[in-house]
Amino acid sequence: MRLRAALGLLAALLSGGAGTQPLDSALDDEHIPRILAFGPWPPPPVRDPSNRASGEPAAIAFGAALFGDARLSRDGSVSCASCHQPARGFSDGLPRAMGLQPGIRNTLGLHNLGGQRWFGWDGANDNLWAQSLRPLLDEREMGSSLAQVAHTVRSQPDLREGYRRAFGQPPDADDERVAVDIAKVLAAWQETLVTPRTPFDDFRDAVARGDRLAAAAYPAAAQRGLALFLGRGRCYVCHGGPTFSNGEFADIGMPFFIGRGQVDPGRHGGIQALQRSRWNLLGLFNDDPARSTATSTRHVVMEHRHFGEFKVPGLRNLARTAPYMHDGSLKTLREVLRHYSELDENRLHTDGEAILVPLRLSEQETEDLLAFLDSLNDPPAPRQ
Amino acid sequence: MKRRLALVAGLRMAAEALACGETLGQDARRIEQPAYVLAWVSAPAPVPVGRHFAIDFVLCPRDGAPLPAEVRVDATMPEHKHGMNYRPSVSARGAGVYRAEGLLFHMPGRWELVFELRGSGAPLRLAQSLQVG
Repeated sequence: MRLRAALGLLAALLSGGAGTQPLDSALDDEHIPRILAFGPWPPPPVRDPSNRASGEPAAIAFGAALFGDARLSRDGSVSCASCHQPARGFSDGLPRAMGLQPGIRNTLGLHNLGGQRWFGWDGANDNLWAQSLRPLLDEREMGSSLAQVAHTVRSQPDLREGYRRAFGQPPDADDERVAVDIAKVLAAWQETLVTPRTPFDDFRDAVARGDRLAAAAYPAAAQRGLALFLGRGRCYVCHGGPTFSNGEFADIGMPFFIGRGQVDPGRHGGIQALQRSRWNLLGLFNDDPARSTATSTRHVVMEHRHFGEFKVPGLRNLARTAPYMHDGSLKTLREVLRHYSELDENRLHTDGEAILVPLRLSEQETEDLLAFLDSLNDPPAPRQ
Repeated sequence: MKRRLALVAGLRMAAEALACGETLGQDARRIEQPAYVLAWVSAPAPVPVGRHFAIDFVLCPRDGAPLPAEVRVDATMPEHKHGMNYRPSVSARGAGVYRAEGLLFHMPGRWELVFELRGSGAPLRLAQSLQVG
């Protein structure tokens, strides 16, 4: 265990030691376990037992091709890649998604999805293939149907051949089975979308192995931002772990009105949709007879507090996925930090999370947090 | 004489408490109440943050107390005023041995783990505070 070796060394590491420039570090030994918990990165690939296409090269290749194929939409005008654009971290740069019709939420990026418990801002799906089927069928997105997707795959020779290669047999007459399988190859490809290593990962690994020179290369402003992230800001409480997300849901005081008399219920509605879904991990389409990844679905509980909660997003390569929040209402990360700095406590339920308080960030603290968030990009992005 | 009897009784109770759940290994944690001792371990151990875990526990009645008809397990973060996002299921395996599954602590910090013994009377609450992450 490297932790013991690292304990007691962080101050020395970050002071640079002999022959290097001393750094202005706010980090101390108490931060080490939390820093190490943000890695290692990248995580080892893990197959999804609920998806027999997961990790299969032919399925991954077919999924990559289908991702940009507009034939899967109702009128042949929209593909997955229309909204999930690779150059934008697989998001679209818009406040709210625009498929065949305007959507109500910001388009989430698609990196680092493997192994997650919940998918989408409301966690309405417990697996990536069901989450991939949803936009195919949603009227506002690709507007297709199980029958149309299955018919398209059966009738187009290249798609029929891709299906045969992925599953070892041609598509059969069961529309739902074929459409779900298409979602499974889309999922198999998306599982391979992992953000690269970042300057933060180099720092984290240097701390783990007690490498003084490498640790000292991490910018002082990013160190101060990290100390704030772990300290007074308590950001790590929700944004913890290698993806910088606990994978759960929170109400951080964002508006949930989506128009006159309309409310986005967030997680509350997500749990209802999950429990109604034919394609959740407790259903017939799970390829794992043991239902070994269905623990969350079996035990999830719906309470009133879940109203207005949305998924805690990961923070890797965040610079590419602006604008931010479930409604895309904050254009830059600076605006996001201002939100946390000036948090409206009256907006938050008075009996809700006691963890959220206005951070009242100084200009310097804002810059430091931005420097830390920059270090989670590869390459570091221009400051917003 | 009275003092000696009290000492013997105390030693007997301490021995009972230590004997409770000895099959769980030396890492078992214990909660003691006048009528029950409860010993528990998590799987995996230590309790992780952000991942599901199970709890194996043994309930040892004292002085003829009955085993409860039902045991519920839950956990809260008192400082944050919230609980888990999951409701654990508890299966009885006979002779006071139980397993709770489906727990998940989604935040690091101080949690209070609660075992609620339900029978004919008012529920009895056995709680223990633990720091995770």
